[in-house]
This record gives sequence, C-alpha cells and structure tokens, in this order.
Amino acid sequence: MIRYLAKRALTYVFMIFLTTTAGYFLAVNTLQPALLEQERIPRPTPEQVANSFRLKGLDPDLSPWERYVEWLTAIVTRWDWGRSPNGAFINAEFGDRVWISTRLFLASIVLTLIIGVALGVYTAARQYRASDRVITSYSYLVYIVPAPIAYFLVQLGAININETVGERIFFVTGISTPGLDGGGWAQFVDMLAHYAVPTFAITIVGWGTYQIAQRQYLLDNVNADFVRTARAKGLTRNQAISRHALRVSFIPVAQSIAFTIPAIFAGGFFAEKIFAWHGVGSWSIDAIALQDVNAATATLAYGSVIFAIGAILADFATTLVDPRVRVQ
Amino acid sequence: MTNLSTIDPAAVAGEAKIENSDVVITKSSIILRRFLRNKTAVVGLVIFLALTLFSFVGGLFTSWDKETIDPFNIGMPPSAEHLLGTSQAGIDLYALTVEGTRISILIGLVVGLVSVLIAAVYGCTMAYFGGKVDKVMLFILEALIMMPALLVVAVATSGGGNGLQKSLPSWLLLIIVLLVFSWMGTARLIRSLSMSLMTRDFVKAAQYMGIPPRRIVWRHLVPNIGSLLVLDITRGITGAILAEVAFSFIGIGIKVPDVSLGVLIGQATSQVSTFPWMFWVPLTVMFLLTGSLAMMNDGLRDAFDPSSSSVGRARRSDPGKRKSGKTPTTAGKKTT
Repeated sequence: MIRYLAKRALTYVFMIFLTTTAGYFLAVNTLQPALLEQERIPRPTPEQVANSFRLKGLDPDLSPWERYVEWLTAIVTRWDWGRSPNGAFINAEFGDRVWISTRLFLASIVLTLIIGVALGVYTAARQYRASDRVITSYSYLVYIVPAPIAYFLVQLGAININETVGERIFFVTGISTPGLDGGGWAQFVDMLAHYAVPTFAITIVGWGTYQIAQRQYLLDNVNADFVRTARAKGLTRNQAISRHALRVSFIPVAQSIAFTIPAIFAGGFFAEKIFAWHGVGSWSIDAIALQDVNAATATLAYGSVIFAIGAILADFATTLVDPRVRVQ
Repeated sequence: MTNLSTIDPAAVAGEAKIENSDVVITKSSIILRRFLRNKTAVVGLVIFLALTLFSFVGGLFTSWDKETIDPFNIGMPPSAEHLLGTSQAGIDLYALTVEGTRISILIGLVVGLVSVLIAAVYGCTMAYFGGKVDKVMLFILEALIMMPALLVVAVATSGGGNGLQKSLPSWLLLIIVLLVFSWMGTARLIRSLSMSLMTRDFVKAAQYMGIPPRRIVWRHLVPNIGSLLVLDITRGITGAILAEVAFSFIGIGIKVPDVSLGVLIGQATSQVSTFPWMFWVPLTVMFLLTGSLAMMNDGLRDAFDPSSSSVGRARRSDPGKRKSGKTPTTAGKKTT
C-alpha cells in the first residue's frame, strides 16, 4: 500500500510541476506590472521602472523563458519564490496567508464532511419519510445557489441578528478585533464571534453534495445480497447497514472528496473576499489585479498542492475501506 | 472489410423497419412520453422556455434600453414608468434584467452543450482505445482538473495590455475559459462508465462482427450513457450560469458595459438595505433559471435511461400495458 501511495504521490509532484510551469508562462505573458507603475505619482521613467524590477528579479526585458529559468533555479536551490512588484517577499507573505486560510477552512471542511455523510446515512435509512424529503430537498436547493450569494445572505442574516439584539454578537468580517485587551477568555470569545459566521456559512452551503452522494450510494447498496445475508444471520437493520452497506457505499464518496477539496478552495476565494479574511484566495485575486506574476504563480502552485493532498487522502481512504485495492 | 458494406445497409433497413412498424413505439416518442409523465420536469421546462422567450422579446415591452440614462429617476424604486425601478446610474432595471438574462442563458447553453460534447468524445476515446492512449489522456485531464479555474478566469479577463481582451467581448472570453475548465469531471465519469460497457458481451460481439469503432461507440456506448450525457447538459448549464454569477459577483468575469445577472447582483450587494429591488430582481430571475433546470433533471434522466423500468415494458411491445399502467420511476437510483 505504501508503494502504491508513493507512486501516486510521485505522479502528483510531476503534475504540480507541469501546472505551475503552465501557470507561470500564462502569468508572465499576460501580466504587465510595468503598466501599473506608470500610474504612480510622480510618474517614474521607463528606465526607473525597469531598474527597480531588475533589482527584484522581475526584469521585463528578459524573455519569458529566461525569467522562468531564473525563477525555477531560485526555488529549487534556495526555496525562494521571488518578490512582488512592491518589493514584498512571497515566502514571508505566503506563510501568514496560508495560516489564515487554513484556520478559516479547516473547521468548515471537517464539519461539512461529517454532517454531510451522517445526514446522507440518516436519510438513506429513512427513504421517503418526511425527514428525508426535507433534508434532501434542502440539499438540492443549496445546489442551485451560487456560493458567494449564499455567503452574502448568511452575512446579511447575521447583521440583522446584530441589529435586532442591539449589540454586536457576530463579527461578519475580519479575523480578530485589532488591539483587543483582556485575558485568554476575552480573546477566545472574540475568536468565536469572528469564526461563527464564516464557518456556519461555508458549512451549510457545503454539506449538500455529500449528503446527496452518500444517500444515493447507500440506497444502491441497502438492498444488495450481502446486506440481506447479514440480516438473515441475525443482525438488525441498522447493524447491517452500518457494518456492511455503509463501508461499500463510502468508497465513491471518499473518492469524491479529492475533487471537492479544490472546489472548497475555489469557494474559498469567495468566502475570503466576502468575509474579508485575507488568506491565499483573496491574495491570488489581488495578485492578478496588481499584475503580480510571482504571487499569482505561488497561489496557483498552492491550489495544485491542495488538490494533490486531497487526491492522495482519497486514495488512502479508499485503500482503508476497500479490500480489493489492497489485494491489487 | 468487404462484408461490412454488405451488412450495414441490411441492418439499417431492418432496424428502420422495426422502428417504423406500429407495434413498437419509436425511441424518440418513448423518451418524449416518459418526460411528459414527470409533471415537475414539464413545469421546469415551461419556466425555462418562458425565461428564454422573455430574454429575447422582453425588450419590446419597454421604451427604455440598457444604455439610456434617465437623469430624473436615479436609484428609484419600481414605479409606473420603470417597472422594476432604476439602477444607481439611472438605467431601467427591467431592460438590464432582460439583457442580463439573455447573456446568462447564452453562457449556460453554450458551455453546457459544448463541454458535454467534448467530455463525451474525450471519455469514449479514452475508454475505447485504453492502454497508452488512456494513460496519456488521463494525465492531461487530471492536470487540467488541478489548475484552479478561477485564477485562469481572472488572468484571462483582467490581464493587462494584450490584445485578446480588447478584441473579444468579456462574455465570449468567459465562455472560452469556462469551456476549457468544465468538461473534465464528466469526461472522467464517462470514461469509467464506458470502460465497464466495453467489457459487456454486446460490445464484444459487435467487435467480433467487425463493426467499425465509430459505429460501436455511436450504437452501443452512447445510448447506454445517454441519460448521463443529458443530465450533464442540464447540470453543465446550471454550473455555467452559477459560475458566471459567482465570478461576476466578486468582480472578475463579465465586465461592464456587458451586462449579466451576476454583474447586476454584484453591483447591488453594497447597498442592499437602501436599494433592495436592485438585488432581489436579478437574484429571483437567477433562481428561476437554475431552479427550472434542476426540476428538469430527474425527468430527463428517467426519459433517457435505457435501464429505466419504463423501457422494459415498451420493448416487450405491449403498448396497451404501457399506456394503462403507471410505470414505477426508479426513484432511489443514483443519477449516474
């Protein structure tokens, strides 16, 4: 199994290299930071602009290929992802922002998965009862709402709650109150007040897909022969479902996780923009607006790495629950 | 190869004869009848068609257009003169909504149809040839899945001074980028389904009879994954409309002066409490659009599914029974 996973990991490393390279060339050819510099006051001469970019390793006079080689050598030899046009170092900024993004999404992703799968099992066991109909139609409703609009509506709702209560319970933007004094307890309450709205919004929009998938795959297996055999041997319906049907039906769901983690990352752009958490997602949008080649490529590489991690986790989960893969 | 040409016309004629006889109902009418039996799906279709019609002829019912500014009514709520009120710039919201709906439907239809077509060709090719071809094509596909589409959309629609953005309208650019990044999931699914079909006896038999690949794919693979293809068209349309709204909402994607539902919603978000109609009107239209597509999904899947229980009765050439009995729909089936 370890060998199988290692082989997969190697393939993904190669893929990350390819997508990042493609992304770099796309960015180098379309993004032109020199044009933005011209809008500064006092307006710098083209020589000044070129000189300042040359010092930051962003020489616009070199061909894309030369810049690519220079950029790649810096990463391979010194793990240096370059600098932004304003002089900031990508590595330093990246560290901060990854931490913010991780804090924003980790809780939501875990909650989304657990709630989605649990509700899927619950509704499959109670097919066509009122609870099943309500939950499943909710999931289909979420499916037709674009993520940013759902986040926005949740934000509006939180603002309304704050207004009706007359005091600020939830913070709808930002990550923490700047300059907050007080002990650990005050800090903790402040953190909860900032986390509650984004986590709630991402979770209630996210679990619909898992619920639908888990319900359908479980329903396909509930009446399979091996479940009937288990029932004939004396297991209760719930035991038969949880020990036999659930295991098989979780395999496709586990695989779909690989492809929804980048989707959550993509949804992350919207969540970070709307809730004003300055993580990797909003950085990548800003980087493109500021014509920042290195930052855009770094965020793209990060997206690919997240995808690869999700895919490897899915492979790992599949080998855990599916004995057929282990045999192969 | 010589006997191929002699077999084909005979087979075609034979099938045509069966299809035209009275006993067996033709495939298209089975599909149509099964679709019409699902009332939710029909309502969805009616709403979708009505919206499409509205987006083309709706502009005739108002004297305002999407560019004329009414300087006396800036940011006014709905009134007799402006049915749905005006925007912050003083442009009639009704005219803007008609225009935005048209662009959104256009993006949805083009992306939904073409991406499923690409996915079907790509997926079937992978499954049919297998081996090295499959490996290389799967690698390309996964590499494309890996690229965060949103970054590419942002670069393509907001990048600096290259000529592409200037020569193409932003909605066309968005269609192209969405197309490039929307077909991979479907192609993967089609590949795995077609691969399991390839091992089935009827495909093997067709291969041993010397029927050319193109015909096998068309006759045996496509009908069996047809329900999936149709479903993915409606899903693709929904996905493209939602993606356009999402991208335009945060300010990438469609750019002003082009109008779309996403642009209208995005522009209104900053002042929802002061100008609520600007936010809720385009949002309602978007919900009608995506909601009607979602309502059609189940009916379409059932209509095109060859393993649907309805087909079993029709193929037994027992039209009386088919008409009288309500065929049980396969409700718990997975949508694949």
